[in-house]
Amino acid sequence: MMSQQTPPNLGGKVSRRDFLKLMAAAGTVLTFIPFIDWGKFLPNPTAQVSERAKVELPDGSQANLNSFPVNHAEAVIYPKTDDPTLNSESFRTWQFIRLPEELGGSNNDVSSFRMYSMVCLHLWCLWKYWPEPGRKRGECPCHGSLYDPLTGVAFAGPASLQSPPSNVLPMLDLEADQNGAIWIKPPNWSPNGNGVVGFGRYLKE
Amino acid sequence: MGMKFTIPSRFVSPLGFLGMLTFVIFIILGITGALLMLWYEPILDRAWDSVENINDTIPFGFHLRNIHYHASNAMVMVALLHMYYQYFSGRYKIRNEILWVTGVILGVLTILEAFTGYDIIFSERAELAISIAASLTNSIPVIGPDMREAFFGGGFSDFILRFYAFHVFWLPIAMLGLMVVHFPRFLVFDVPMVMAFTGAIMITGGVFPVDLGLKFDPNVPPGITVPEWYLTGLYAFLRTMYDKFVTGVLWPGLFIFTLLIIPFVDRYKKFSWKDRPIITAVGITSLAQIIVTTYWGFYIDPDIQKSLLERLVIDPIFFYVVMVLLVPLSFGFTYMMIKLAKNAESKAKAQPKKATGKGPINLPARWVYIIFIGLLIFQIYLNISAYYAVVSGMNNFSLFIIGLMMLVFAGMFHIYRHGRAMEKAPPLLPPKPAIQPKAPSPLPQTSYATTYTVEPSVAEPLAPQQAQKTQPSIGSSQNTKSSSLRTGGNADNSASKQVGASQDTISSTKADNIDKSRNDRAD
Repeated sequence: MMSQQTPPNLGGKVSRRDFLKLMAAAGTVLTFIPFIDWGKFLPNPTAQVSERAKVELPDGSQANLNSFPVNHAEAVIYPKTDDPTLNSESFRTWQFIRLPEELGGSNNDVSSFRMYSMVCLHLWCLWKYWPEPGRKRGECPCHGSLYDPLTGVAFAGPASLQSPPSNVLPMLDLEADQNGAIWIKPPNWSPNGNGVVGFGRYLKE
Repeated sequence: MGMKFTIPSRFVSPLGFLGMLTFVIFIILGITGALLMLWYEPILDRAWDSVENINDTIPFGFHLRNIHYHASNAMVMVALLHMYYQYFSGRYKIRNEILWVTGVILGVLTILEAFTGYDIIFSERAELAISIAASLTNSIPVIGPDMREAFFGGGFSDFILRFYAFHVFWLPIAMLGLMVVHFPRFLVFDVPMVMAFTGAIMITGGVFPVDLGLKFDPNVPPGITVPEWYLTGLYAFLRTMYDKFVTGVLWPGLFIFTLLIIPFVDRYKKFSWKDRPIITAVGITSLAQIIVTTYWGFYIDPDIQKSLLERLVIDPIFFYVVMVLLVPLSFGFTYMMIKLAKNAESKAKAQPKKATGKGPINLPARWVYIIFIGLLIFQIYLNISAYYAVVSGMNNFSLFIIGLMMLVFAGMFHIYRHGRAMEKAPPLLPPKPAIQPKAPSPLPQTSYATTYTVEPSVAEPLAPQQAQKTQPSIGSSQNTKSSSLRTGGNADNSASKQVGASQDTISSTKADNIDKSRNDRAD
């Protein structure tokens, strides 16, 4: 339509019309840039925890190095909210395990504790730790995936057949204070960090 | 000559954009609403908390909620203005009745949509609104209680879930269906206007962020609340404490019914409000009553020494006397306005038509670039400000700035369009006669000068014609001249056919009158 008026593009000079178009494009981009940030509306911000949190046992007390029995596990809610409905969802339930003696459970530091997501990596049932002699492992009631309490690796069942990172349970990092009370360090929800609940974690070398 | 098709001129009255704007706001509401659905929970004890969560915790939830809220108000307001514009300009005539009827139903649904929207927050005010809506439905004779049961369910828990279903599905889907029928014959769309309006909604949200209200607690007596502004008129009627059904169902129902039958009652053969005195007077009366009752519904006696009931109840005799008095006042006002308008018309006719300020603004090319670059720099500055506003948690300020950016974009679009038009034009405006034969030019691209010089005569084809209409003795040569001006191409043709020319133009006046209205009906 207006091609006839375009001067031949000589010596790399930008024609008036192209310059105008360029400015219009720049203006459009500048106008809509702020809306990129609005994508933050979508992910749930409450999953981010910036401070260490108590390992709060079902009875309401904080887990302690000196009192938590060896070869024993409890379900812990993390991150805990004020909302009972949210607290009851499986993506917030974690298995807090003190390892059996043969795996180093009698050490009086956090190395004898593990905290794994209870969401099975296979089809999101809730597995749990069985302390009985001969079992001493995480078992999923749905399809029989078995998890190693020391590393969180699925060693048998359908979850063990999944490719990394979906064969290793997400795990939270723990620390203990002078009184022996156990805390959860702020997590990094990525496969290379603490893992993604329901998806898995890359095992560090 | 007979009927001819006219191309709508580039200039359309800003009021002609109201229908399109209503639709654009509907789309904005759809997008923001769909996003809010991701976090909102239509559950009795969680609804208010989830809205609080959106407002306070979710990033940009504040922005989306405020845009959604203010856009809902804007939609009701723009739809009302759209309706009254169509009403006073008689656009529901000539087989447009279906557009009018669907439009009125769409307006009612728009208000219901907005109403259900502010109810599902389940604040104190929402609870009051829901209970009033339910009790009004209950008050309908015979079928009322069953209707209430069917539409509202058994209790608050049902109410909130159902209002949610109405709000996000039933009402919008019904509106979309009606919009298909309501789709106008002439659609005008203007990017800068849409962006500026969006920006205005955002700026309003930034300056007047909507509050949450207090969470409804059945054990705590609620404070005095009034509904949203589009319902305070109805609320004023309810506050007279006269029978609930009559004031809350019958009166608004009668009002809506009257609106629906207007195109079938209005038998005037002309379109202008000046030529339809009774219809115009009825419209002015309804406007006056809406404005007065809307204000009255808001007003609550500030004297807290009085009892709550005393402050709330409106004396029905006083109220209805005012309502009745507004009728002769409005009719008198309409009579006066028509007199004044006709007077001004004949005065304007007596004087030669002087050029109005609608001529093109010729901005030199250099200034186009300078202004454009200035706006770009301003836009960068606004981007940085918006970023820091969000980082420092000033949500309303960032919403304000982003609204401003929309306005700047509208300005840039204007400048760009101007620059493009200038580019197409030859560097100098050649001295051409003002009246150009509008023969289809062999070149698809008409020169800048031609489009702009011809346009005023195309845009106002009625001006010489109205003179004809009221003063038919003006002379046939004058008539043929003006008609040739309008049709352009066959100027020589009609000039040669002097015989019978006056007859020709008289018949064409009517046709052109209809043409003109078609031409302008850009909703």
